[in-house]
Amino acid sequence: MTLSERIEAYREYLMEVLHGLYHGMIEHPAYELIEKEAEDTDDVFLFACFADAFGIPSPISYYTAELLPYLGEEFEQWERRMWDRESLVERKGQQYHF
Amino acid sequence: MEKFVFFGGKGGVGKTTVSSAYATRCADAGLDTLVVSTDPAHSTSDVFDQQFDDDPKPVEGHDGLWAMELDPEEEVEAHMQEIKRTMSDQVSPSIVNEIDRQIELAHRTPGAYEAALFDRFIDVMRDADEYDRVVFDTSPTGGTLRLLALPEFLESWIERLVSKRAKSIDLYEKAAIGDKDARRKAEEDPIIERLQERKEMFEFAGETLRDDAAFYLVLNPDELSIRETDRAIQNLTEYGLGVRGLVINKISPEPDDDEQGRGARFLRRRHETDRERVATIRETFDEPVVAEIELRIEEIKGDLLEDVAAELDLEVAAATS
Repeated sequence: MTLSERIEAYREYLMEVLHGLYHGMIEHPAYELIEKEAEDTDDVFLFACFADAFGIPSPISYYTAELLPYLGEEFEQWERRMWDRESLVERKGQQYHF
Repeated sequence: MEKFVFFGGKGGVGKTTVSSAYATRCADAGLDTLVVSTDPAHSTSDVFDQQFDDDPKPVEGHDGLWAMELDPEEEVEAHMQEIKRTMSDQVSPSIVNEIDRQIELAHRTPGAYEAALFDRFIDVMRDADEYDRVVFDTSPTGGTLRLLALPEFLESWIERLVSKRAKSIDLYEKAAIGDKDARRKAEEDPIIERLQERKEMFEFAGETLRDDAAFYLVLNPDELSIRETDRAIQNLTEYGLGVRGLVINKISPEPDDDEQGRGARFLRRRHETDRERVATIRETFDEPVVAEIELRIEEIKGDLLEDVAAELDLEVAAATS
């Protein structure tokens, strides 16, 4: 292996490590943060659609029930999340990796 | 005259009679007319002595007249079955049960009945091309008013839902920078599509009610129904739906002068009070009184219906649109 090849290989290795570091420290937490936010917004959306699942009468659940076939998976997860979620702090706290 | 004519008012004032009479008159004038009863306690069948159901049926003995009675319960059931059918195509069987419960729940809430009625309402207005005039005999004041207020209310609600959904999709797309595929995409989201469809439906209803419908209130010469009419007018005006006129029904007739028995004295007093109230109605309301109908001894059906129809001072000519 020539010197230049070895330098090349080393540089590739270094790039990978650096990218991994960047991804782990900056990129991924950022994605995660946005996805969490998206999930939260989704939860609010689902709650607005199906408030009656939690005993709050909703005049539009008759119409939003039409969405259920398309929301299937999401709806079930959401319902479980809503029952399990202990507090908003707990949910928000998940984004910090101690 | 608008294509859709609504008769509303307190329970028991004779909305069915008045709307049936008006419809007969329209039909006699050569207009293809449909009477739609939205009152859960249907009595159109009694007026015409013929059983009607959820589909328009020609009224025997009257050319160009059809009648139908909306049945929200049937509609609720059909709606639920439809959703369940779509679901079995879309969702894996493992979670069907979970969602089934929610669907049942959504169709058992008190609002479901109103929503279903409203859906049928819109269906009728949409499919009314073959008729020149559609007469709605509505349920007592409260229910009808809520029904008519629905489009605006639902429209804004759905708008909020769509914006929430769009926001979360937008976030998912942002989270998927680089080579990752977004978990959801706006163009192919069936949820937004369905919601938009609904929204268009409500917009249609709102527009039709505002631009293509006329409202009349039926009342009796008594305190209660006068007060309720006053409230109804205020509410309807709030929703941007003006009341075109009032129909005073069940005014007691006057006995002949030579009659002096106890019954005649009672009737004379009664007639005087009624006349006073009619005068009050004419004074206090800005809306014109389009008909004063006398109380009849028998139930109003058959020929009597034609008599009542003649008393209605309502134009029947077709809309010039």
